[in-house]
Amino acid sequence: MAGKKQALFSAAILAGMCVLPLELGIYPQHVLIVSLFYAMMASSWNLLAGFTGQVSFGHAAMAGIGAYTSGILAVKAGLNPWVGVCIGTAFAALLGFGLGALCLKMGGIYLSLTTLAFSQILHIIIVNEYNVTRGTMGLQVPGLMEEYSKISYYYIMLAAAVLILAILYWMIHSNLGLNFRAVQNDEVAAKSVGVKVLRVRVLAFTVTSAMAGFAGGLYGHYLLLITPEIPSLDLQFKVLAMTVIGGMGSFFGPIIGAFALNILEEYIRIYGEYHVLVFGMVALVVARFAPNGLIGLWRKFRPMKSREAVK
Amino acid sequence: MFAISIMNGLVMGVIYALAALGVSLVVGIMNVVNFAHGELYILAGYFSYLFASALGVNFMLAMVIAVGLVFVLGLLIEYLLIRPTYGNDMYSLILTFILSIVLQNAYLLIFGPYPNKPPLWVSGATDFFDLFLYGNQRLAALVAGAAVITVIFVIIKKTWFGRIIRATSQDREMAELNGVDTARLNMLSFGLGCALAAAAGVILAPVFPVTPTAGVPVALTAFVVVVLGGMGSMWGCVVGGLTLGLVENLGAAFISTGYKNVFGFIILILVLLVRPAGLFGRTKI
Repeated sequence: MAGKKQALFSAAILAGMCVLPLELGIYPQHVLIVSLFYAMMASSWNLLAGFTGQVSFGHAAMAGIGAYTSGILAVKAGLNPWVGVCIGTAFAALLGFGLGALCLKMGGIYLSLTTLAFSQILHIIIVNEYNVTRGTMGLQVPGLMEEYSKISYYYIMLAAAVLILAILYWMIHSNLGLNFRAVQNDEVAAKSVGVKVLRVRVLAFTVTSAMAGFAGGLYGHYLLLITPEIPSLDLQFKVLAMTVIGGMGSFFGPIIGAFALNILEEYIRIYGEYHVLVFGMVALVVARFAPNGLIGLWRKFRPMKSREAVK
Repeated sequence: MFAISIMNGLVMGVIYALAALGVSLVVGIMNVVNFAHGELYILAGYFSYLFASALGVNFMLAMVIAVGLVFVLGLLIEYLLIRPTYGNDMYSLILTFILSIVLQNAYLLIFGPYPNKPPLWVSGATDFFDLFLYGNQRLAALVAGAAVITVIFVIIKKTWFGRIIRATSQDREMAELNGVDTARLNMLSFGLGCALAAAAGVILAPVFPVTPTAGVPVALTAFVVVVLGGMGSMWGCVVGGLTLGLVENLGAAFISTGYKNVFGFIILILVLLVRPAGLFGRTKI
């Protein structure tokens, strides 16, 4: 029953998302496209942090890998951006696999520290290898289509986001998702009932890295200018804040967080560059007092209302 | 050139060791990595600048005030943010990471993006065997850093308080059974860890001016040192810190300055491949 309701709800939202931009101007369309990118990033990071309990700080770096791989191939080798995005995704998956295998054996804190170091190394390399990456100036890349059209990009990003979210939904609700949760809750107990803990973790890390690479590749070809802003700790922080505020460990939480924060950012922007500070404060308060985010709050207070209604 | 790089490496190495000791202390006792370590380091630099340059307090007193304030702030952070997350290591990581971003942006708002610098303690330079001149301020930083590290070692290894710390980091439950108030100890050691970051900050700020994000590379290096030396090992911090300081500065001098911070990470990855527990770490993590 609940599943059916959820499916109907999702379908209605999706239909709305398909029709909505036709009524909007170019600027709101841009905001929605960026929100879709963040929804992909936050949801895939959530699989890692919320479902397997591994806090990676290299998710933005993986998006950067996807964007720069595809961008450099397109600029230097004249490769079709679509092929480039696929190669970027594969490269991010490969790096994710290597990084995962290197540090997942050693447990949580090591993973966080090593991914943080990885993202910092990547940032330094991109800024220094000026000839290849154009450093902080940014790399100009061709678009996904011959002619630039916002609405086409919107549908491409929407399709990509639906694909990523569908894969994530399937993973969470399949046997694999059960394994993920088992590993997060109690590693030793999971091991004792035959869950291959290491394999599950490396798999989760590889898949989410690939997703970040994919999202980053598309985003780069949408912006047409790839800068070190993509693989930066600021972007990583935004993804983290969206997930935490929306609700870590729930499927819909990060999506809600991504749209809410990204749209909110546009409103705060008018008052100057305070959005990061504001997000940080909000995220800190939410993480401290409502660890399950907006979704958690909603779930907590909804039954109360219905109970009152019964009275 | 070689000798100067060695000297620079030693100065930076001592500071790295000091910052890493703070991280290591907190990891050892609470199993919490404080991602805002670098921001507290910078905060102490700002405080000492504020008191010494803007308010005209004596520079020594300004440093003591700065370290004291950061210590109190550390106690507060532990009480307000870390305490509710006991038993969930991942959440404390997330909270301190958010805190570090908040602090960075708050500094940007309050102090602006410009580098700020407290006054030098000493001026002039010393001639080293007619080979090269080396700034007295850097020498003073080296001595001060080494002195603070020695004090910490004496406290941890020789005093009653140090014995409590060592006991708790070895076996928390056993320490509790013997009457250690571990909740208070957590708070105190978190504050102490922050104070060590602050000590590193006030010592280095006159040499390297503070900016809102200048703490990031220092904190990252401190984390690398902690992992390199083995989580919770004090000697590991000292050896790891000096190694990293020397490698970075020699690498910057002879290979490439742009990649200064990468060399440390490469060493880290190599060490992790060969010896996952770090150089001085216990085999079980």
